[in-house]
Amino acid sequence: MQSRRIFSSDSIYVAVVLLPIILLIALFIYYPAIDTFGQSLTNRNLRVRRPAKPVGLNNYVKLIEDDEFWEVTGRSFKVVIITLPLEMVVAFGIAMLLNQRFPGRGVVRTLTFLPWMLPGVVNGFLWGWLLNGEYGALNGFLYQLGIIQEYQYWLREPEHLIIWVTVVQTWTRYAFPTIILLAGLQSIPDDLYDAAKVDGASALSRVRYITIPLLLPSFGIALVVEFIAAFQIFDVIWTLTAGGSAGGGMNPFTKTLMLYNYELVFRDLRVGLGAALSYIILLMSLAVGLIFVMRVYNQGVQEA
Amino acid sequence: MTLGLRGQERLRLALIYILCAVVLIWALAPIYWVAVSSISTRQELYARPYKIWFPSQPTLESYQTIFTQGAKFRAGGFSPTAHLMGTGLRNSAIISVASAGIVTLMATGAGYAFARMDFKGKNIIFLLIMLMIPLPIWVSLIALFFLMSQLELVDTLVGLILIFVTLLLPLSVWLMTTFVRDIPSEIQDAARVDGADRWRLVYSIVLPLARPGMVAVFLVAMLSTWNNFLIPLIFTRTDDSQPLTIVLTLFIGQYEVAWEDMSAAAVVTMLPPFLIALFFQRYLVRGLTMGAVK
Repeated sequence: MQSRRIFSSDSIYVAVVLLPIILLIALFIYYPAIDTFGQSLTNRNLRVRRPAKPVGLNNYVKLIEDDEFWEVTGRSFKVVIITLPLEMVVAFGIAMLLNQRFPGRGVVRTLTFLPWMLPGVVNGFLWGWLLNGEYGALNGFLYQLGIIQEYQYWLREPEHLIIWVTVVQTWTRYAFPTIILLAGLQSIPDDLYDAAKVDGASALSRVRYITIPLLLPSFGIALVVEFIAAFQIFDVIWTLTAGGSAGGGMNPFTKTLMLYNYELVFRDLRVGLGAALSYIILLMSLAVGLIFVMRVYNQGVQEA
Repeated sequence: MTLGLRGQERLRLALIYILCAVVLIWALAPIYWVAVSSISTRQELYARPYKIWFPSQPTLESYQTIFTQGAKFRAGGFSPTAHLMGTGLRNSAIISVASAGIVTLMATGAGYAFARMDFKGKNIIFLLIMLMIPLPIWVSLIALFFLMSQLELVDTLVGLILIFVTLLLPLSVWLMTTFVRDIPSEIQDAARVDGADRWRLVYSIVLPLARPGMVAVFLVAMLSTWNNFLIPLIFTRTDDSQPLTIVLTLFIGQYEVAWEDMSAAAVVTMLPPFLIALFFQRYLVRGLTMGAVK
């Protein structure tokens, strides 16, 4: 009698805590994901007054044959390829510094990680203002130091824009890899360094042959997470270069896959095409994510 | 020899502090600059070349302007946005506190179930929740928008809260499961022998012990919701539900920007996350790195 009562109260507990979660996720995530796939097989376009017709894989073919799609995809990968090394170098340097013992380390660490916790749209605006050609602080600073004689319009050249996007993305995100690398550094036993010191290894070769190999798994985690973040970049670009206000045109020179997807669905109202793009992005990030994980994992296994 | 060692230590510390200064300039200069801009007078801010790194007459005029008159354009005109800062602040506060509170409660209950109980389908349910983490959000967002339209939840606070709670669930459930798992099970077993049912057990024994975990989940959820831009960009239309991140972008005119007012708006938008990050960073780091770093 006693045990049956407990059993039934247990199932009531499980049902009450899990059913709302299952319901929310099914209704708001998995059902729409399936529905989006269904829409990607239609020519639904809210600008045109006609019922959507099934068109098979036409939307996918249309995207793959479209020059703009490849241009945008290339730009997204460019952002990833520049941002990741930049972030890793900055993060590794700061992690090495914060791994030293010195008074005030806790305060420095707290302040260093702040940018990561601020809204991305604010970060984009901060840098846009900093880099402003007429009144921006970077110009004022460099001018006062005598490094530049003329104020520069940092955000004018289209081909420079994407570089600044990666700089701002790095500023927004570097705290995460720093934290991961710092945890990795702290797990390396001091004995290893002491032994190497006794053997006469220089500081540089200690980093090269002890620190970096032992940090490879941490670099792996950081790279995967930062790949996803850089590949899905949106907020920072929106306020840095995309034009900002809701009605304005989208800057074509910094249009990455996520912005392109937003434009297709919510500005051009080409729902079918946008849905197809979202699934192509899913495939791309899956594939690249897997390659990354396997590469890093294999290297870690081989060199450890 | 001892003097030499002490000298060496001093040199090491000097080098470290120089490097710290470089790192802190990189991390904080943009934030400092926007804060200074927000309390500068227009004349000083637009002086060329820029000379002053702290305003000679600090003023809160820009803050007054954005809360009473809305965004001002450089030419001097105003856009009809006078109340947007106020409603934005209200909407941001409501959706982030409500979403964080609800998700913390749900995740605590579920975390206990996953960590301490056996039931049918446990593994598959856990997997389905966690699979959301690597799923690029766009695949769901497109159809979700039309679903929310049909439910008449677009541009409502309730709609936003429902979406945020859902999106926050995987990380929160994962965190709470690991936190509850770390609580020694002996205490709970003793309580069960005494005849406490699951609700009593969770309420009177797990809740107090899991409080640090719940605080971490709550703060991470609140911060992520406050900072989010994409969800309100798609699911809000008017001041009924637009949070501050959206209001900020509405203030940026395409060619005209009043930088001192914009800076004030940016400071207001980032102040709550800034303060939370300053005083509760330990919790945030633990939550945001999924507990990988304690």
